[in-house]
Amino acid sequence: MSGKDFQFLNVQRQTPRTVPVSIRVLGYGEIAGDFAGPQAAGQAERCIDCGNPYCEHACPVHNYIPNWLKLVQEGRLTEAATLMHETNPLPEICGRVCPQDRLCEGACTLEQTAFGAVTIGSIERWVTDEAFRQGWRPDLSAVRETGKRVAIIGAGPAGLACADRLRRAGIAADVYDRQGEIGGLLTFGIPPFKLDKSVVRTRREVLEGMGVRFLLNRDVGRDIEFGQLLDDYDAVFVGTGAYTYVDAQLPGRELRGVHDALPFLIGNTERLLRDEAPAPAFDFRGKHVVVLGGGDTGMDCNRTAIRLGAASVTCVYRRDEANMPGSAREVNYSREEGVTFLFQRQPLEILGGARGNVRGVRVVETALMDDGSGRLRPQNVPGTEYVIDADVVIQSFGFLPSPPDWLRSHGVALDTTGRVITGAGAALPHQTSHPQIFAGGDNVRGADLVVRAVYDGREAAASIVQMLATADTNALAHA
Amino acid sequence: MSLGALSPEAHEALAIAMNRLGARSNSGEGGEDPARYGTEKTSKIKQVASGRFGVTPQYLVNAEVLQIKIAQGAKPGEGGQLPGHKVDSTIARLRYAKPGIGLISPPPHHDIYSIEDLAELIHDLKEVNPEALVSVKLVSHAGVGTVAAGVVKAGADLITVSGHDGGTGASPLTSIKYAGTPWELGLAETQQTLRRNDLRGRVRLQTDGGLKTGLDVIKAALLGAESFGFGTGPMVALGCKYLRICHLNNCATGVATQHAVLRKEHFIGLPEMVMNYFRFIAEDVRGHLARLGVRSLDEIIGRADLLEQVDGSTPVQHKLDLHPLLGDAALAAQVDFACTLPRNPMRDEAALATRIDEATRTAVADRIGGEFAFDIVNTDRAIGARLSGAVARLWGDHGMDQHPVTLKLRGAAGQSLGAWNAGGVHIDLVGEANDGVGKGMAGGRIVVRPPEDSPFATQDAAIIGNTCLYGATDGELYAAGRAGERFAVRNSGALAVVEGAGDHCCEYMTGGVVAVLGKVGLNFGAGMTGGFAYVLDIERTFVDCYNHELVDILRISPEGMEHYMQHLRSLVSRHVELTGSEWGRRILADFRGLQYKFWLVKPKAASLAALAEELRSAA
Repeated sequence: MSGKDFQFLNVQRQTPRTVPVSIRVLGYGEIAGDFAGPQAAGQAERCIDCGNPYCEHACPVHNYIPNWLKLVQEGRLTEAATLMHETNPLPEICGRVCPQDRLCEGACTLEQTAFGAVTIGSIERWVTDEAFRQGWRPDLSAVRETGKRVAIIGAGPAGLACADRLRRAGIAADVYDRQGEIGGLLTFGIPPFKLDKSVVRTRREVLEGMGVRFLLNRDVGRDIEFGQLLDDYDAVFVGTGAYTYVDAQLPGRELRGVHDALPFLIGNTERLLRDEAPAPAFDFRGKHVVVLGGGDTGMDCNRTAIRLGAASVTCVYRRDEANMPGSAREVNYSREEGVTFLFQRQPLEILGGARGNVRGVRVVETALMDDGSGRLRPQNVPGTEYVIDADVVIQSFGFLPSPPDWLRSHGVALDTTGRVITGAGAALPHQTSHPQIFAGGDNVRGADLVVRAVYDGREAAASIVQMLATADTNALAHA
Repeated sequence: MSLGALSPEAHEALAIAMNRLGARSNSGEGGEDPARYGTEKTSKIKQVASGRFGVTPQYLVNAEVLQIKIAQGAKPGEGGQLPGHKVDSTIARLRYAKPGIGLISPPPHHDIYSIEDLAELIHDLKEVNPEALVSVKLVSHAGVGTVAAGVVKAGADLITVSGHDGGTGASPLTSIKYAGTPWELGLAETQQTLRRNDLRGRVRLQTDGGLKTGLDVIKAALLGAESFGFGTGPMVALGCKYLRICHLNNCATGVATQHAVLRKEHFIGLPEMVMNYFRFIAEDVRGHLARLGVRSLDEIIGRADLLEQVDGSTPVQHKLDLHPLLGDAALAAQVDFACTLPRNPMRDEAALATRIDEATRTAVADRIGGEFAFDIVNTDRAIGARLSGAVARLWGDHGMDQHPVTLKLRGAAGQSLGAWNAGGVHIDLVGEANDGVGKGMAGGRIVVRPPEDSPFATQDAAIIGNTCLYGATDGELYAAGRAGERFAVRNSGALAVVEGAGDHCCEYMTGGVVAVLGKVGLNFGAGMTGGFAYVLDIERTFVDCYNHELVDILRISPEGMEHYMQHLRSLVSRHVELTGSEWGRRILADFRGLQYKFWLVKPKAASLAALAEELRSAA
C-alpha cells in the first residue's frame, strides 16, 4: 500500500498563505501567496484520482486535472504546464480568478466527503507561474503556417484564448482592442489584488512570442471599419464582452456619490496603471460606502472601496448568503477586510441630502419564497423599511451584452437581450448567422465567468480551423 | 461486492435495507460475521463462489438462498482479488485468512469441471440446508440458454443471467470494455431455450448487470426475468461516488474500505437511503405497469411481444434485427412464461442421509453425541452434510466439538462425503470415497481407511477422489491412501494426512497443514499464501513438481527445526493410530532415516520462526 493513497487523510488541505489583512488593505498587490515547490507536490498528492474525475467534469474547459496533479507530484513541471495549456490557454489567470469553490474544487470528491478539496486553483497558478519563470514557453515548433488570417476583436479572455488556439493551428491572429493594454476585463475590471497586472503582461509576452499580433487603441467601428476586417481576413472572431450594466431604476441614482460598478473599477485600475492618486469622486477616505449587489463584481467593489480608505463598507443583497452569486472565497476575503454584509435587504431608493449628495439608501427586509423556479425569490416584507446612511453608493446589479452596431448591420443575428446567437441551425459551434463571423464570451452568454469565455474562444478557434480547412478541401475539389 | 471489498458498515446497511423491504441482499463471497445471523443484518442470499471464503455449515444454514456464482457478467472468467491491505483482522477472521495477505478467488470452481459437478454442488448445498433455494449465477453470453437448461436439469431453483454492465466500479477496464454481453441478449436466449424445452416452469429467472431504473426492471420482466439484481445503484445511494479506487483501501466515501477513520467519519450511508432508492424504483415500475395497462409485474413476465425495436441512428444500427429476441419462439401460449413451482422438483431422494438424520436427531438436539453405524454405497452422496447442517443450525460450527456424533461407515462412499463437515461430526469410513471428501469442512474429523483385508499398498492406491478438502476451514482428514487431483485447494485451516496426491495439491491454500506421505503431482502449492505442508520425497522428484512462484521448500534439519520434526512425527503417529496405515508405521519405524527426505513447503511471505510460533501456540 502506497503512503500516497492516504495523503488526503494525513495531509490537510493547505492553500498558500494569504497576505495578512492589515497589510493587504494598504495596497493593491495580489493577496494570495505562492506555494513553495514541495508544498505544491504535497498538496497535489492528496488527489485520489477518481475514476470519474468530477473536478474535470465541473471545469468549464475540462482541464485534465488529475493528470497534471500527478505530473506535479512527480516534479514534472514543464510537462504539467504543457498539459494545462492543452485545454486552457490561460491557466495562470483561471488559477487566480476562477471561483474554484463553485467549480473544480466544489466538485472534488474530497470536498464532498469532508476532507477539504485538493487545492487545484493554487496549483494551476503555481505551475504556470513557475514554468514561465523557468523560461518555459508553449512549443509551436511543429506548427506549419497555413497562410490563413483571422481578426479577433476584443483582447479579453475569449479573444486571447481564440488567438492562442489559432496560432497553434498555424493561422495568423491579429487582435484588435480599443484599450491600450490587452486583457479586457482581466486588466481593467478585475482589481489587481485578485489578478496582478504583471500576470497579464507576461501572458502578452508569451502570446506575442507565439506570433499573436496585438493592434491596441483601435476601436473597431471608429478607428477601423468592421467591413474592412471582413475583407482583409479569412474570418473574424468577436469577443467584445458585456459592458452594459443592469439599471435597477432606483430613484435617486443620479445623485452625486452614486457610481456604477464597472466605471468605478475600470477608473481605479486605469489610474493605478498611470500611478495617479484617486480622483476626488473616488477618494473614499472617511466615507461610508454602500455596495448594492452580491455578485463577484460587488465583492470587487467592496474590497476596492476598503483600499480607497472608506470608513465603512456595507454590502446589501436581497437574498441570503447561501443564495448569493458571489463566490464564498471572495465573500470571506471581503469579510476579513472589514466589509459588513446585510442580507435579505431590497434597496428601494437612494436618498439625497445637501447639495445633491447621497445621504443614504432606503431598504426593506425580504423573505425568501420558494416559487418552484429552483431559486428562492425574495419578497419584500411590509413595514420593515429603514434607511442605511451612506456617503457613497456603488450599484452592482450585473451586466448585459453591449452589441456593437456593426454586428447587426452586417447581418449577425442577436437575441432579444442583445446576445449574439451562435451555432444555430447548420452553423458550426460559435459561428454566427454570418458564416465568416464567430463569437464567444460575454457577448454570447451575457455576463459570465472568465473561464467560460476562455472555453468559447478555444472552441470558436476550433470551428474556425474546421471552416477554413473545409474551404480548402472544397477549393481543391473544384480545382 | 463482498464483505472485505465493502466496509462492514456498507455491507450491513445494504442487508438491513433489503431485509426491511422484504427483499434479499447477497453476501458476496467473503463470509459473514456470525453475530449478524438471525438479526436484520443478515444477508438472505449467501454466495458460494470459487474462493469459498468463509463458507461454513453455519454460514450456509443461515440463508434463504444459496447462490453458486459461476461468474460475473462484468468480468466473466476472472475470479476476484482482495488486495492485502484491505484484509484487516476482522476480514481475515471471517475469511479464515491472515491479515495483510492478499486473497484470490480463482477463476474456476475447483469442484466444478462439468455440468454433473455443478449438479453435485447443488445437491451438496441442498443437503446441508434443505430449506434453502439454490441459485446459479451465469454470465450473459451466446449459448447461455443451453447452459441454463443444463442448470435447471442439475436442480437449481433460480438462475441469474448476469450482464456485462454491472460491477464496473471494481472490475478491470479490459473486462469492462471487451468481455461479456448485455443481459438483454442472455436473458432473451435463456427464456426462449427454457420454454422450448419445457423447463421454464421449474426455475425462477433473475437478471442483473447494470439495472438502475424502473424501466430496466420492466424490460427485464418482459424478456423473462421475475427477479432483479442491483449492485451499483444502492451503493451510490449509500454514498459511493464511483471513484474506481476500490482496490486501494482509500475509498474517501467509506464504502469500499476497511480503513477505520474513513469508515467511521466519512461513511454517510444509512439503510433508509437504500430503501428510498428501491421505493423510487418500485414507484417507477408501478407507473410503467399502469401505462401498460396491467395490474402486476407477474402479468408481463416473458411478454417480449410488448417490446418494440426503436429505429437506430447509425447505419450499423439500421442493420440490426432484434426480432429473434422479441418473439415468442413460435411456442404456444400455454407453455409456461414464468416459474410455476415453488422449487425445482429435481431432488435426490437421499435415503441414507434421511436415515442418518432420523437416527442422530436426539443426539444432536440434546447435544450428547453418540456412535452410529451404517453401510454405504457410492450412490449415497454428500453423506454427513445434512447432519452437519443440523448441528450448525442448533449449535454453530463448533458447538458440538466436545460431544461428537460418530458415523461408522462401511463401503464405497459417493461424492462429497463429509461436505461442510461441522465440528463434532466424526466420520470413520472403512472402504473408499469418491470426489469431494471434506469439501468446505469446518470442523470434526474424517478418517478413510481400507478394509483390514485389503491387498493394496496404501501409498500406491487411491482411496479418496478429486477436490477433497476444497475450501475447508478447519477439522482433520486422515486417509490411508492417495488422494486425487486438486487436494486441499483453498484450504484455509484444515489439517490433513494422506499418502500421496495428484496435481495442484495445496493450490491457493491460505492456512492449515497438509502432510503428504508419498508422491505428489505437478503444480504443488501454486498461489499458496498461508499454512504449510510436508511432502515425503523418496524419489527426489518434488523440486520439479512444485510451483516456484509463491512457496519455498526446505529440508527439515535437526538444527533449529526440532519443532517441525516433532510436529511431523506426531502427525504420522496420529495417522497410524486412526487409520492403522502400514505405510505410516514403516515411516515411524525409520523416522531417523526418512525425516531428511521430507520437504517443508511454506509460503515465501511467511517466516519459519512465525510458523513455528504458530505451531507452539496451536499445540
